[in-house]
Amino acid sequence: MAWPTHPMECSAPQSPERSPATLGRKLSRLRPWVQTGFLAVWLAPLGRWLHGIPGCVFHCYSCPLSSFACPVGVLANYAAMLPVAGELPYLLIGMLLLVGAISGSLVCGWACPFGFLQDLLGKITTWKIQPPAWTGHLRYVVLAGLVILLPMWLGFKGIPFEAQAVSICRLCPAGALEAGLPYSVQGLLAGNGWTMSWLKTGILLSFLAAALLIHRPWCRMLCPLGGLLALFNRFSLFHLRFNAQECVECNLCRSRCSMGVKVDQAVNVTGCIRCLECTTCGALEPGFARPGKPPTGS
Amino acid sequence: MRRVPQPPVNPALRAREDHDFWPGLVVVLAGIIVTFCGARHLTSVETVEGGNATEIQLVKAFSSGGLEYPGPATPPPPPNLDNVADPGAALERWAKQQANVVPPAWKIRVDLGAKAACPT
Repeated sequence: MAWPTHPMECSAPQSPERSPATLGRKLSRLRPWVQTGFLAVWLAPLGRWLHGIPGCVFHCYSCPLSSFACPVGVLANYAAMLPVAGELPYLLIGMLLLVGAISGSLVCGWACPFGFLQDLLGKITTWKIQPPAWTGHLRYVVLAGLVILLPMWLGFKGIPFEAQAVSICRLCPAGALEAGLPYSVQGLLAGNGWTMSWLKTGILLSFLAAALLIHRPWCRMLCPLGGLLALFNRFSLFHLRFNAQECVECNLCRSRCSMGVKVDQAVNVTGCIRCLECTTCGALEPGFARPGKPPTGS
Repeated sequence: MRRVPQPPVNPALRAREDHDFWPGLVVVLAGIIVTFCGARHLTSVETVEGGNATEIQLVKAFSSGGLEYPGPATPPPPPNLDNVADPGAALERWAKQQANVVPPAWKIRVDLGAKAACPT
């Protein structure tokens, strides 16, 4: 039997109702404010010197207000540079290990500015589409193909990253929105015309349209950074726990998940962005792993 | 809130998904060590000013268009023979200069002063 995966597909509750857990409700109300607060970290005009440090969220380093370097752009640059300088991005690897092992993809749900923007666009009432779960694997195709292998291959052909006609930075909707758009508007005002390429402009418009129809389309299907951080979800110190005593099979956990995760089966999976909306059901609770407390099987 | 129907679940049989502490801690410690090493790492890439760039300078160069690749070696222009007393000697000098043109030894270097708004 095929079960519908989107809240819109079901009209009547099939299980007993319950009031959302107090903690979950609080977290749900708190999240937009935390996301707004993190904007002040990622959009710090005075912190431009931090461009030498890769951030842990998806945010274009060419944005006039960006404070940290984009981890995806840094990885692609290192890949393109490999043929001429065999360097490894230790700072980036260390940052990913650190953030991933502590929180997994929690930063996607609570700190990423691009995710926040998609959350806001997703709140606009339109007909919503729920892509199939396998599309989440496309994130790893983007990571391996567009961020690592393609720049490296073109680098071996002697083409520097900045001159590569096809690269993640030239196709990135975050770059189009956060850097291409401001500079193009600036160019228009200065009488220099629209400076962003038409391809990138089309990507930006397509992304905005997709964000109205699909909840977090970039995070769900294409974000290479989110895909990387989600790999840590299975063993990160911060995680979600299922409490069988609290579960009344109300389906609220799965209904609240806008990412289409089958929360009733497993929650610490790669499709989860840890927005913690599912904790409103009360049977799921966020927590940190502690020493001396071995994981229980069931 | 509309509910999504789901197959019957048996909460007692579902895994609690509690995470073990030690694997996470080991990766956190590895992350701290690698980050610390990265912050102090001197790369093999030279700077325009001389000396090697740190990893932080290299990452910063990505966002500011600070990476320089050597262009093709350009030979000196041929001499203007109209105003030269000894055209033969001038041509000989030019040939020698051409022979001495060698491509730069560096393959990539960092310009710490670069400030391109958007490198791509």
